[in-house]
Amino acid sequence: MSPRSAEVCSRDDSQIIANAAWHSLLWLVIGNCIGVLLAVLLLVPALNRWLGEWTYGRWIMVHMNLALYGWGSLPMLGFLFKVYGADRGTPAAWCRPVLWAWSAALAVASLTWLSGESSGKLFLDWSGYARIAFPLAMLALWLLLAVSFVRTFKTADAAWTARIAKLLGLAILLAVPFAIYVASSPNLYPAVNPDTGGPTGASQLESSLIVVAILLMLPFGLARRKKGSLWPVAASWAALVAESALCVSMARGDTSHHSPAQFLSLGSLLLWLPLTPAYYEAFEWHANTRRWRSAFLWWWGGLLVSGWVLFLPGVLDYFKFTDGLVGHSFTAMAGFLSALLIFVMVQLLGEDGWIFTQTRSFHAWNWGVFAYVVIMSLSGWFEGSDPAFTITFGPLRNVLYILRLATGVIMLAASLEWLVDASALLGKRELATAHVVQEKTA
Amino acid sequence: MWTGKLRDSGWQGASLVAITYIYFLIFAQFAFLNRLDALGIAGTQLKSVMAAMAAGGILLSLLTPRITLWPSPVLRLRLGLGASGAAALFTLLPLGRGTAIAVALLIGAGLGMLTVTLVTHLGQWCGGKNQIFKVGIGTGVGYLLCNVPAFFAAQPLVHAIAACLLCLAGIGITPRTIATSPVEPAADKASTFPFAFIVAGFAALVWLDSAAFFIIQHTASLKAGTWQGTAHLWTNGVLHLCAALGSAYLLRRRGLSLVLSSAFFMLACACLLLLDPTRVLLASMLYPIGVSLYSVALVAYPSLLSSATSIAERGRQAGWLYAIAGWIASALGIGMAQNLGHVPSGFVAAAGSVVLLPWLLKLLRTRTREIALVGAILLAAFGIERVHPPAHASAPISQVERGRRVYISEGCINCHSQYVRPHTRDVLMWGPVESLDALHREQPPLIGNRRQGPDLAEVGVRRSPLWLKMHFFNPAEVSGASAMPSYAFLFRDQRGDDLVAYLESLRGPGAQEHITAQEDWRPSAAAVARANAGSGKQLYQHYCATCHSRDGKTRATWQASFKRLPTDLTMGPFFYLPSADRPEVRLNRLEEIARFGIPGTDMAGHEYLTGRQVASIGLWLSQNVAKPHPSNEQHIPSGVKP
Repeated sequence: MSPRSAEVCSRDDSQIIANAAWHSLLWLVIGNCIGVLLAVLLLVPALNRWLGEWTYGRWIMVHMNLALYGWGSLPMLGFLFKVYGADRGTPAAWCRPVLWAWSAALAVASLTWLSGESSGKLFLDWSGYARIAFPLAMLALWLLLAVSFVRTFKTADAAWTARIAKLLGLAILLAVPFAIYVASSPNLYPAVNPDTGGPTGASQLESSLIVVAILLMLPFGLARRKKGSLWPVAASWAALVAESALCVSMARGDTSHHSPAQFLSLGSLLLWLPLTPAYYEAFEWHANTRRWRSAFLWWWGGLLVSGWVLFLPGVLDYFKFTDGLVGHSFTAMAGFLSALLIFVMVQLLGEDGWIFTQTRSFHAWNWGVFAYVVIMSLSGWFEGSDPAFTITFGPLRNVLYILRLATGVIMLAASLEWLVDASALLGKRELATAHVVQEKTA
Repeated sequence: MWTGKLRDSGWQGASLVAITYIYFLIFAQFAFLNRLDALGIAGTQLKSVMAAMAAGGILLSLLTPRITLWPSPVLRLRLGLGASGAAALFTLLPLGRGTAIAVALLIGAGLGMLTVTLVTHLGQWCGGKNQIFKVGIGTGVGYLLCNVPAFFAAQPLVHAIAACLLCLAGIGITPRTIATSPVEPAADKASTFPFAFIVAGFAALVWLDSAAFFIIQHTASLKAGTWQGTAHLWTNGVLHLCAALGSAYLLRRRGLSLVLSSAFFMLACACLLLLDPTRVLLASMLYPIGVSLYSVALVAYPSLLSSATSIAERGRQAGWLYAIAGWIASALGIGMAQNLGHVPSGFVAAAGSVVLLPWLLKLLRTRTREIALVGAILLAAFGIERVHPPAHASAPISQVERGRRVYISEGCINCHSQYVRPHTRDVLMWGPVESLDALHREQPPLIGNRRQGPDLAEVGVRRSPLWLKMHFFNPAEVSGASAMPSYAFLFRDQRGDDLVAYLESLRGPGAQEHITAQEDWRPSAAAVARANAGSGKQLYQHYCATCHSRDGKTRATWQASFKRLPTDLTMGPFFYLPSADRPEVRLNRLEEIARFGIPGTDMAGHEYLTGRQVASIGLWLSQNVAKPHPSNEQHIPSGVKP
């Protein structure tokens, strides 16, 4: 056996997951550094002159897109590697290159955003060169997963249902890069809530149900179902089907949140307050996941309630365009999504999940996010009654923004600790692999 | 016993490093040039003097390890210090071209002997522990002292005497005997790379440093932004010291490769930032960090980190390193800066490929698949984009459309919405309301989701092109401590005017009705009751005085651009406040103008102020300055500047 093939065979799956975690955390830390920079610039706008043309407006594009397509996406690559068996055998050698390709596309995209390339569409900010490079990186991932799927199709002893689900998953994943490319076009724009200019209740329900579907699918790729725990699983899937039917039946045009059909149907999501914890309780999880599982379920609950309350007539009218809704988005991204992703990574890493379970960083992150949301909600409250509150400087506004900066620094510190630990873990794993290669070569 | 401990502490080694750097930086590289300038030696004569210094440096760097006449390193070090000190004193004499060449030769030769001897035996003078840290301290303190404002700004005479005294001090502190303590092993990752790669890497860094130094030194605006003023100098000094200590830490823990890569990154950024005058300040922060990062390595590598197996080999390596990277690369960098006046980005890339070459080769060997896949994807994306460029790429577009693209490029959407919510107070402040059909015709609609500034959907109704331009240049000055950054850079080309044209085009069909609605606005009775002339005065100073007081900054900056100079409210004339009106009518008019401005003029409103704030401004104005009198009302005809 050549040293190269020995290396390939000995590359264990947790090293692949550790790699995915490292890439995710790298972008989290970079995104958080930029977040702190933005918070400083809001307090001291004069510092912008140090940045030349790379002013606040350009950095915020990088900040949001890295949070979404870097930190928010890369952990799912680890999940997909595991589910499709790409972390074992010959395909394992291509997991790291795919992670590199993803990160390289993000790095190139960051430079294009900083140089003023933008689609003008928030959260779908892909244009020019990056609009092609990023979907290509996604296609590379798809190719790896497809090869892994074909390779394990005959040998794996998985049930037919699992194989069909994976095949379906591959079909959906193949559509994603093309969907990103098409949806980034300036010619396409979703329905608008005429009273706020924001999304309609129907489109919010639609996107929330996609999140719910992902939440329901995740455990099947991560853990075993406990015996005798069928009802929460069945009830959850039935609820998803029912809510999807409700969503399909809703009007798709520009509809106001004052329409009862809009806010009442969005209220149906509150069903997931009791269902999600019961659903996750029906699976066997690694002991290391306990903290982050609780955290993500708490954040999910908070998100469901605040999301609905903030959509209600009168409330949305008050908070629209204010820091209050920024705080809500932060609950979704830094609270719920981050906790969910870390929970997934801890489950995938197993014993190596210690990198995320340190008490200090766990509390720093979660309380930091909570404090941030409270501060932004307060700021949104003041802004709702006085639009000048954040437009011009004032002592209260400045105090809130200083506190906001402090919470950003706390979150940055927590993420740095994770990155340092992930680097140490990766180093240890690579050393172990090198020893195995040496032994096999000898 | 304590003398032994003191010797073991390695302070002599750190001090000798500091002395050498101070001599080189403040005297050889700086004061000597000033002295030559004062002596009238310039142009070709100056080049021959500098060439003599380089020749002396190269010659003695290469010869010192091979000199058998004085085998004692202590003696050689003292000779180097003595020659350097003497040369510094000679510069005080009235030199001609020939004597200047001789002195320059002596400076170079002294430095060549001093530096090579010092690093060859530095391990023995740095104590038994933390040797790299002592190199970091010596380098950092050397740079810090050079940046002490009083010392930096002293006359060449003072620098020359100080350099001589330092050399004497160096002779005094040099131990008479060489200690036998072993060289401390370091976490050396550099020794795995061939010596030639490392010399080339240092040469590329010195080349960048010398070029950047020369450009800053010879460009008044850059010099003002980097090396002038007490705060700048202290900042530079502290940055040097911190970076030097950081470099020592990284050299010990992570090896040479990371330090050289980091130094390159800092220097490359500094060189590229120097191309843009608005970024000089940032360049001035990165430059000292990059310089100190590699300066520590330039001493630590030959003395403590190289793979040399004997003293003789260490000396020879040091000689080649300083001859090529120190003297030749420095001369090349200065030559390039003299000829081009800037460091082209291609040259920076070339330097980067040299510095990063060992790391890149290692990466290529261990991460072949990763590089291949990334390369394939980036190349494919490049090819696809070239084959299928966006439809709008080549088509001619209007100025308004170009401005819209600038709006998107600058991320304005992240702070400004373009959506007036119907049936809310948005309508009065930012209105009128745009139809959804019109919104969906935009590609894409730029609604946004956050207001860190006003809504801009109908900004063309309430702001003039001149006001928009003034605001882009200095938002904080024009609209009372606005948190928006300056976008003056957009006006270096056509982007600024395009953006103004786009914003001016943002006006819907209901503008006239909207203006009528604004005219009907009055502060609520409660707001009027709580109005306070004192706070009105403060608000006036904050928001209005920049245009409406005689010494207002905006008024002074843009006075040639106003169609009609903003009225000085202490004098008038008051074109929009007829004196015939009753006081309460005038007060209402003042409030309306303060809140919504005067349509069709450069007078902008302050729509975001509360009713109480507007009432307070109106109250103070009506009580104090805005008292139209027939005698000053019509003295200056409309449209004529006073």
